[in-house]
Amino acid sequence: MKGYFLTRRVVAIVLLFAVAAGAIATWQHYVPLLRNLSYLTGWLLLAVILFLTAYNGRKKLPFLPLGSSRAWLQLHAYVGWLSVVVFFAHVGWRWPDGWFESCLTWMYLVVIVSGVLGLLWSRYVPRRLTSRGGEVLYERIPVIRRSLQDRAEDLALRSVAAARSSAIADFYIAHLSDFFRGPHHYWSHIVEVRTPWNRLQSKLDDLSRFLNEEQRLVLGQVTDLVRQKDGLDYQYALQSSLKLWLFVHVPLTYSLLILTGLHVVLVYGFSLGAGFRP
Amino acid sequence: MDTLHFKIERPDRWDNPFEPEFPDADLDRLLGTAPFCDMQTEAFPKSQPLRQILRNDTRLRRFKKGEIIVRAGDYGSSAFMIVSGHARAALPPGLPDRMLGRRQPQKLGIFRAIAQLWGNSRLTEYRRPDELTSDHGAAPVGRGPEAGVFLQDVPRLLDQHKTAVIVAGEFFGEIAALSRMPRTATVFADGDDTELLEIRWQGLRDLLRFDKAIKTHIEQTYRKNALENALRAIPLFQHLSESDLQKVMAETQFGTFGDYEWSGEYKRLAKAGQAAPEKEPVVAAENDYPDGVVIIRSGFARLTKQFGSGQRTLNYLGAGRFFGLREIVHNWKNPASPIAFQTSLRVIGYTHTLFIPTSVMERVVLPTAPQNLLPKPFTAAELNLDDTDPLHEQGGLGNRVGPELMEFLTANRFFNGTATMVIDLARCTRCDDCVRACAATHDNNPRFLRHGPSSGRVQVAQACMHCTDPVCMIGCPTGAIHREAAQGNVVINQSTCIGCTTCANQCPYEAIRMVEPRDRDGGFVTDQELKPILKATKCDLCLEQYGGPACERACPHDALKRMNLTDLGSFVKWLER
Repeated sequence: MKGYFLTRRVVAIVLLFAVAAGAIATWQHYVPLLRNLSYLTGWLLLAVILFLTAYNGRKKLPFLPLGSSRAWLQLHAYVGWLSVVVFFAHVGWRWPDGWFESCLTWMYLVVIVSGVLGLLWSRYVPRRLTSRGGEVLYERIPVIRRSLQDRAEDLALRSVAAARSSAIADFYIAHLSDFFRGPHHYWSHIVEVRTPWNRLQSKLDDLSRFLNEEQRLVLGQVTDLVRQKDGLDYQYALQSSLKLWLFVHVPLTYSLLILTGLHVVLVYGFSLGAGFRP
Repeated sequence: MDTLHFKIERPDRWDNPFEPEFPDADLDRLLGTAPFCDMQTEAFPKSQPLRQILRNDTRLRRFKKGEIIVRAGDYGSSAFMIVSGHARAALPPGLPDRMLGRRQPQKLGIFRAIAQLWGNSRLTEYRRPDELTSDHGAAPVGRGPEAGVFLQDVPRLLDQHKTAVIVAGEFFGEIAALSRMPRTATVFADGDDTELLEIRWQGLRDLLRFDKAIKTHIEQTYRKNALENALRAIPLFQHLSESDLQKVMAETQFGTFGDYEWSGEYKRLAKAGQAAPEKEPVVAAENDYPDGVVIIRSGFARLTKQFGSGQRTLNYLGAGRFFGLREIVHNWKNPASPIAFQTSLRVIGYTHTLFIPTSVMERVVLPTAPQNLLPKPFTAAELNLDDTDPLHEQGGLGNRVGPELMEFLTANRFFNGTATMVIDLARCTRCDDCVRACAATHDNNPRFLRHGPSSGRVQVAQACMHCTDPVCMIGCPTGAIHREAAQGNVVINQSTCIGCTTCANQCPYEAIRMVEPRDRDGGFVTDQELKPILKATKCDLCLEQYGGPACERACPHDALKRMNLTDLGSFVKWLER
C-alpha cells in the first residue's frame, strides 16, 4: 500500500481515534450528570446502525448523485468501528445480563466481526486471484466446467479405441469423473493448501509409468484439463467466498434492526410501566 | 517428399474496388470532364494509371434534393467532387443536431431519475415507441450502409441558415478524408439529381501524388483552412508573429502514414494473435540526423528505442505531441556536438503528421520561443546511458508504467480511449456492483462486459472507450453514431440507427453490441416485412444520469476507473496510488 491509499488510511484512523476519544470523554463527563444517558446512547447507536445500513440503500440507487460507493464504504468501515464505542457506552462497558439483550449483543458482534473479516478478505483475495491468473467470470464457471468435463470424457473414451486399453478410461472413472462433475477442494483453495492437487498429480504420475508413448500423450492432455479444472475450482472457491460473506453480514444486519426495534418497544414499555419518563 | 502448397492469387492493390462495376461509359465521361481532362496521364505510373484509379477508387453517387452528403462532426474516409447538379454547405454555426439525425443527451429530471428504481423494464432491450421513431428534422431512408438521411423542409432551412453553393467540378471533404479530422461542415444535395464522384482516401492519396494541380489545390486548401489553426493551437507557435507563422506554414510538409482503415486489419491480426506494431511504418528512425520536428496531427505513433533485436515502446504520442524537438533544441544550443534522433517514431494504425524542417525551427521558431516551452538539452549522462535499460533513459512515464504494461497498452491500441474502463484486479472483488449499476441506469441492460484483456493487475474491460480516433464513426450511413456536443463523447441516436452493424464491425475493441429491441409485450420490434429491427448499443458514459458514469461511482473498492489513456500521466498516478 502506498501513496493515496496509505494517506487515506492514516487520516481516517487518526480521525477515528480522535472522534472515539471525544465520544468516550463526553460519555464519562455525562455519566454522573445524566440518569438516563443510556437512552441517549441508545438512540445514537440506532442512528449509527441505520446510517451503516443505508450503504446498502445507496447501492440500490446508482442513478442518484448520492456520492461514490467507495466514499460510502470508507464511511461504512470507520463509522462501523465508531459504533463499537457507542455500543459499549450504551451497555455500560459490561456484558448485558438479560437473554434478549445478550442475544442482541451477540448479533451485533457477529455483524461487526463479519464486516471486519469480510473487508479484510475483500482486500486479500483479489490479489490472490490476480497472481494465480486464469481469470473467469463467475457466472461462466459452470459452462467452462462442463466444457472441460466433456473434453476430458471424450479423451478418456477415445483412448480406449486408440490404444486398445482401458487404463486411462478406468482411471477417469475412478478418480476424475467426480472431480470434473462439480467444484472440488473448496477449503483447500480457500486456505491455499495444495495437498489434494498433489495427491491427484501423484496418481496421474503413477498411471503414467504403465502407459505407452501414445497413451502418455493422451494422459498429458487429460492432465492439462485437470490443471485447468483445478484453476477453475480455485476461481470458484475464492470468488464465491467474496460473495458469500455478504450473505452473513447483510441478513444479520436486517435481523439486528428488527430486534433493535423490538428492544426499543420493550425498553419504553417497561420504563413507562415503571413510571419512568425518559 | 512432396509438399502440398495452398495456392492463392497474389493480393493486388485493387482487389476490392470501391464500386464493383464501374461502367466504361461513365468512366469515359468522367475522364472528359474537369479536372480529370486537364490531368497529364503520363505523370501517372503504368501500374497506377489515372483510368484505373478512377475505376477502382471512386464511385458515382446520386443524391436527391435535401439528402445529406456529409455531416459536420462526422468522420469519413472519402472526398467528393460534384459531377453535375449542385450542393449546399451549411455555413457556421451550422445546422442543429436534430436536423442531422442526432439527439443530444439530456439529463433526466430528478423524478424520472428516482423513478428508475421501480420503472425499469423487466424485458431486455425494451424500447418506448418514441425512442425508435425519427426525430423531427431528419428521416433515414433505406437499409444498410447505403441508406441516406434527408433534411426536412429544405426551403425553411434555407431561410433560417446560411449556406454556400458548391457547383460542378468542385471538391469537398478532402481534408477530413486525408487528415482523419471530423468534417467541418454539413453538405446536402440541392438539386433533385445531384451526381457526385466519391473518392476513397487511397485514390485521393494517389491523385495527390501524381497530379500537381490537385496536390497544389488540396495543400492550399489545407494551409488556408486548417494549418494556421492547427499551429496556433500549439503553445510553441503561439508567440510567433503573423509573418513568422506564414514562414513556418510555407515550409511545413504534410505526411500520412499507415493504414486509414487500421481497425479491420488490427482486428484480423488480433484474432490471429499476431498484433505486431513493430511491423508498422517508421516516421523517423533512431540515430538518423534530426532533419525536422514531427508533430502528430491525428492518429497515434509510438516512441521506441532499440532493445536487443526489437523495439521497446517508451511512450505513445497522440495529436499535438512533438517528436524530435529535444534533439533539435540540443543541437541548436550545442552546435559543436550535434546528436542524432535518440528514439524512433513508429506509426500505430494511421497517423497524419506535420513536418517542420530543422532550418525553419532554428531560423524562425527557436530564437523567439519562450525558454520555458523548450525542452532541456540532453545531459551527458543521458546520452551515455547503457542501452540495456532504455526505459531508464526516459526516467519518466514509460519507465513507471513498466515495459510489459506499455507493450500491452500499445499492442491493443488502448491509448486511443478517453474514457477507457480500467480495472485494478488486485482490488476488484468481482462483486459486479459496476455491472448492476450500469444495468440500473440503462433500463436493466448493462452496456459493458466486466471482462477483457489484462496485463498483470490491469484489466481493460469491454466498454466503449470514447476514442480519440473513433473508427466506429467512419461509415455510419445516417450519422446515428456521433460525438455529443458538450464533452465530445461518442453516442448513438437510437431513432436514426438503422442497424447496419458498420460501427460494431469497425470497433476494434468489441465495445458495440447489436441488439433486437422489444416492445411493451416482449415481442421483437419488426419492420414492415416482419424482420427484427437491429440497433447498435454501447456505453454512453451515463450522460443522462446525475454524477457521471455509474460504473465508476458504484465501485466500492477503488478498483474501476474511467480513464483518459491518451494521458499516460494520469494512468501512472492511478497505478501508483
